[in-house]
Amino acid sequence: MEDFAKKYNMTDAELFTQIDKDELESEKITAPRYSYWKSVFRVFFRKKINIIVLTILAVVVLFAYIYPSVIGYDDQVDPYLYVNETGVQHLTPTAAFARHGASLKWIFGSGRTGASTFNAIWNGSRISISLALICAAINMTIGIMLGAVWGFSRRMDMIMNEVYNILGNIPSTLFISVMVMVFSPSFWTLVFAMTVMGWLGIAYYIRTRVIIIRDHEYNLASRCLGTSIFKIATKNILPFMTSVIVLEIAAAIPGYISSEVFLSYIGLGMSEVSLGRLIYEAQQAMVTPGWGWEFWTPVAVASVITVVLYVTGQNLGDASDPRTHM
Amino acid sequence: MGKYVVKRLLHGLFSIVMVILIVMILVYGLMDRQKIFKTDPQYTKVTNNARTTYMYQRWEEYGYLDYLPFNDYLNDLARSGEITEETRAAASSIGKADDGSDDSETTAEFVKRFYDYAASNGYTVRRLGAVVSKNRIVTGGQQALFAYKEKNVLVRLWNYFTGILEFDNIHKVPETQDIGKRGLTFTLYDPVKQAENGGKKVFSPAIIGNGTTHKYLLYFDSSFPFIHQNFVNIHLGTSFTVTRGVEVFSSMTQGQGAYVQQPLTYPTGLSEQSADNLHTATYIAGSRDANVMYQQRYEDDYTNVNTYKNNMSRMGYSFVIGIISTVMVYILALPLGVLMARYKEGILDKIGTVYIMFISAVPSLAYIFIFKGIGRAIGLPWTFDMDNVTKAMYILPIVSLALPSIASMMKWMRRYMIDQMNSDYVKFARSGGMSETEIFFKHVMKVSAIPIIQGIPGSLLFAMTGALITERVYLVPGAGGLLIDAINQYDNAVIVGVTLFYAVLSVLSLILGDVLMAMVDPRISFTDKSR
Repeated sequence: MEDFAKKYNMTDAELFTQIDKDELESEKITAPRYSYWKSVFRVFFRKKINIIVLTILAVVVLFAYIYPSVIGYDDQVDPYLYVNETGVQHLTPTAAFARHGASLKWIFGSGRTGASTFNAIWNGSRISISLALICAAINMTIGIMLGAVWGFSRRMDMIMNEVYNILGNIPSTLFISVMVMVFSPSFWTLVFAMTVMGWLGIAYYIRTRVIIIRDHEYNLASRCLGTSIFKIATKNILPFMTSVIVLEIAAAIPGYISSEVFLSYIGLGMSEVSLGRLIYEAQQAMVTPGWGWEFWTPVAVASVITVVLYVTGQNLGDASDPRTHM
Repeated sequence: MGKYVVKRLLHGLFSIVMVILIVMILVYGLMDRQKIFKTDPQYTKVTNNARTTYMYQRWEEYGYLDYLPFNDYLNDLARSGEITEETRAAASSIGKADDGSDDSETTAEFVKRFYDYAASNGYTVRRLGAVVSKNRIVTGGQQALFAYKEKNVLVRLWNYFTGILEFDNIHKVPETQDIGKRGLTFTLYDPVKQAENGGKKVFSPAIIGNGTTHKYLLYFDSSFPFIHQNFVNIHLGTSFTVTRGVEVFSSMTQGQGAYVQQPLTYPTGLSEQSADNLHTATYIAGSRDANVMYQQRYEDDYTNVNTYKNNMSRMGYSFVIGIISTVMVYILALPLGVLMARYKEGILDKIGTVYIMFISAVPSLAYIFIFKGIGRAIGLPWTFDMDNVTKAMYILPIVSLALPSIASMMKWMRRYMIDQMNSDYVKFARSGGMSETEIFFKHVMKVSAIPIIQGIPGSLLFAMTGALITERVYLVPGAGGLLIDAINQYDNAVIVGVTLFYAVLSVLSLILGDVLMAMVDPRISFTDKSR
């Protein structure tokens, strides 16, 4: 200290300022501010691919949910607009442009009834995505809640394992089709059919994860200190499960779209013209030369939607794992 | 181990019974039974009362209920000797009115007895008066009297499970039939073999029965599995619409396609070109006398035979495609998964990850169509033609079936290997100076392969059931579509039978998987008390 004073030719009072001792401040531990969700999004947006994927997702949502209402699409009227005209069916985009004039509506050509494939695809996408989101929301809520209880209660574990062994062996195709036959083949019937048994797999998965984490030392310690089971479940275990749950949702939503397409293909789908119904109805066009557009475009859009949803979910799942927040 | 497996089998059996119970409630209880007439051309032809009775007859055939017309009741009484044939004939014509006010005295008496019988046996009686218009009975408007009883679900379940195994014995043919001496004969020279070889003496042992349902109870032939028995037969239910009158299991295993004819000498000595397989002969009472063709060919009433056909069975096609693709999956996916884990973040890992993502996300229907489109573009045959089967036709279905499974197996193999890489024994081996490659292939791979090994029995067994979408897209005549066909055509017996088949396979594959896992991994033991 003497050296400093000599070197710069300054007095101590000039070099240092006296700070009062603050009892309150000394109690705080200095660490960088950490907010869980802020970190999740920071990690998420660090990857360039996620920005691209989110942009595509935004476009998909825009076209599926906003575009049909902007153009006033009516699924009772629009598909049959050109039924009585000749020479407008199964057009390629160039032929459709020549026939109807160039517009966004005709960039995928026209289908079996002569209506715009582009409009039909987005209307179908809206139905398919909505179905997937509703099913995922219901199944996830029931699955996670029951799965957590299932994992905690040993008595329930015994009963539920039996139930799982039995219900898991019933072909889901059979169950869904019986439901579709019992009720009418409508959107809400399909939601009902896919959720009555759909939560079981998720609950089982969550149950297994809960059992793994449940017996960790920190939870044993917590229980010894008298923490209630509910608090252990919500404060100790749930944070661990966030990324697992997000990953499950990421796989589930494309899964529901996939099942819907499959069910429509085997003739057990809903009456609304979803993406699956579009593909099913355009099946013959696949092998007919020149009609390829009306078949391949819904297939391509379905693939893009599912891939985008899947990648977003996967990367969000990765980002929601606190271990990646370094 | 044996005790554990038996326990698991019993547990599995319970699950299977419950599954069948639920499926029976679903198809017989919940499904609207009116729907079976939706595509029935006969239903639209009959009208009025005839339509009602037709519906009840159909429902009985589909297994919904027991249907007992008044005349059948009288016939039963006459057959048991309780009433004479004259009384039966006199009682059988009921009056036109639905309250029985214009019945004759005899009829009224028996109608009353019919009502009493129905009431004491849980039947519900329906009496339909004649539909008259301008003093004439309209078409299908004949009066009708019948009783019906809904089948109880537990009784149905019991009957179903007790009827699954059919044991053939020499008292199967009704005792009232005179068929000569009943019994089993053992021969070293199977007569069918001689018949198929133009009368030459060929050594081939066989057991032939008289009085049994099947004529040949044990025999050898040239088709898989070469030795056949008919002492015990599996009966999963009889199809009603999908393959009319054929047992569910046989409809999966029976040959398809065109008849294969060969010179054949029938028991009477008549020789001709025929596709008949005499080994499959079963008894039908009185069939020989009823048909001149049978009289020329057979010496007894064992006249009902299957035929040789030139194509494989449904299950055969599914199994060939399934087994080749399963083998392909293991051969390709395991090394690829291992390499992805070994060179993590490398180029192969990145390509593999994108591929796995594609398969997991894109709807299976979409990528199978994409494979089909690519196959078509490079000139592969893209539909299955039963009349002209070539090896090239198998390529696309096999590839389409294998590619998605490869993705999922790659994913798991990579996951397991990477998880193992952080474990203590790997760190220990590394500190001991073993090379990374050595650790990887000598230790990590063995441990990681165990969960994969558990899945092998399942993938082999389920190769038999066929793949639904693949078979539909490529028009493969396999077993995969059977359940969907049955659902679409309301064939309840097939739905129940196929579900049972699937459930048995899934229970077996889980148990076999665990046993196999315990065999390869000495650390896993099912006999340990501490479990």
